[in-house]
Amino acid sequence: MERHFELELQKLNRRVIKMGNLVAFQVHNAFDALLRGDVELAEQIIENDRKVDKLDTKIDKLCQRIFALTQPVATDLRLIMSSLKMNNDLERMGDHAVTIAQKSEGVSEYRDIIDELHIDELVKMTDMIVNDVITILNTRNTAFVKDIFDLAQAIEEKAQGISAKIIEEMMHKTEVIVVATNLIVIITAIERLAGYSTNIAESIVFIVDGRIMKHKKKNFESPAGTSASVTETPAEPAPDQTGDPTSEATPSEG
Amino acid sequence: MKEAKIVTRDLTLHYGLKMALNSINLHIPEKEVTAFIGPSGCGKSTFLRCLNRMNDLIPSVHIKGEILIDGLDIYQKKIDVVNLRKKIGMVFQKSNPFAKSIFENVAYGPKINGISDKKKLTEIVESSLKNAAIWDEVKDRMHDSALGLSGGQQQRLCIARTLAVEPEIILMDEPASALDPISTGKIEELIFELKKKYTIVIVTHNMQQAARVSDHTAFFYLGELIEFGKTRKIFTAPDIKQTEEYITGRFG
Ligand SMILES: Nc1ncnc2c1ncn2[C@@H]1O[C@H](COP(=O)(O)OP(=O)(O)O)[C@@H](O)[C@H]1O
Ligand SMILES: [Mg+2]
Repeated sequence: MERHFELELQKLNRRVIKMGNLVAFQVHNAFDALLRGDVELAEQIIENDRKVDKLDTKIDKLCQRIFALTQPVATDLRLIMSSLKMNNDLERMGDHAVTIAQKSEGVSEYRDIIDELHIDELVKMTDMIVNDVITILNTRNTAFVKDIFDLAQAIEEKAQGISAKIIEEMMHKTEVIVVATNLIVIITAIERLAGYSTNIAESIVFIVDGRIMKHKKKNFESPAGTSASVTETPAEPAPDQTGDPTSEATPSEG
Repeated sequence: MKEAKIVTRDLTLHYGLKMALNSINLHIPEKEVTAFIGPSGCGKSTFLRCLNRMNDLIPSVHIKGEILIDGLDIYQKKIDVVNLRKKIGMVFQKSNPFAKSIFENVAYGPKINGISDKKKLTEIVESSLKNAAIWDEVKDRMHDSALGLSGGQQQRLCIARTLAVEPEIILMDEPASALDPISTGKIEELIFELKKKYTIVIVTHNMQQAARVSDHTAFFYLGELIEFGKTRKIFTAPDIKQTEEYITGRFG
């Protein structure tokens, strides 16, 4: 039986994917603005966030309507619950892209510090994880989810290493306090981007096979025979990682 | 909202001394589905029966107010009730096919309306059965008795019978309440198709069904129209507290 309801689900899918693409684009541009010191691009990202917010509201309303009118169950229920969560995560990622864009102005004159800290490497990994997770969102191929978790872990470690260096710098040279603070905010935003990416990967696992990954991704195993890698495994984690196991928790700010 | 196909103005109905509808003002939009919900005995069926003057058949009924269909007051003296009923098809809770063949059930209405050409009748029967989404299930047994069909099939046959006389409005009084979930799903999908061409008013005690199939919902309580609005609004954020309480199962 062809279900009229199917059309609503398809619409929801299309919108979430659109949101994913839009946010990935925002993140990518924010990184560009940061690394190139492109103030104009930064302004554009801030402006574009309105589109992200608008789509966020649209998806929320659509989910609310589907819940209220169709009493979804099983796979349909999982899809709608997860869409709501992924939408929320994506919207927050959009906000972090804005934060990076905003702060990029304040650090644009400190190329040498950015280079010295190898922030470009961190940026590359994060751009990659965001793109990969959007690919999974499109394809629903959970074979690559493990790679996302690993990459997120590597980003986390590298980010903490960089933050530790920045803090050390600050203690020795008071004249860098302002730029260092901005950089810390940027690094934190980058960590969050990686955290939200894992959230989305978890949601996709939940849609596809109903498993709840949230608190056990350490033991995550991809489906048998699907260990292929969607990305190259990133560079080594920073040597001076802090090793705080609790810091791996995914972001949960409102 | 689309243009109103049916408008009621201060429609009040008594059975003898007992008031069953109290001053109902409602605009039912054309080519959309309007659902009536509310607890048993609140007047949904009574209201529905007013729309094709079926209540005329009950001697104790007193009606005040107006019902306009396409702008015409259907309780005016000069209105031809037979013509009116032709414009308005009705489907009941209990499917009620005649004890005749499937073909004859659908051909019956057109025949009464004077169509006797065999080829024409066959065409009408086929297209009506197709539009009622039952053609594939009966096309090889057109001359079998309609009573041999399952409950869900009988109900779709009754819808085909209604479509055969080319109505503009279809009234349905709990059309799926005696059916299993699969048959109910088929009827609901059918309603989606039918609203492209017909104005549909459905009474249902199943709120989820109202949510799934209708564009507009009217909530009745004790003969009063408590709230009327877009279904998506009623089921996400109704304006009236009583509606909220009813649809969330807090009373009724
Ligand atoms: N033929 C009738 N004669 C007298 N009272 C009736 C008749 N039909 C319905 N009623 C009364 O009118 C009220 C509304 O009934 P009805 O329209 O059947 O409600 P619903 O369809 O919402 O369950 C009820 O109190 C019912 O008892
Ligand atoms: Mg009734």
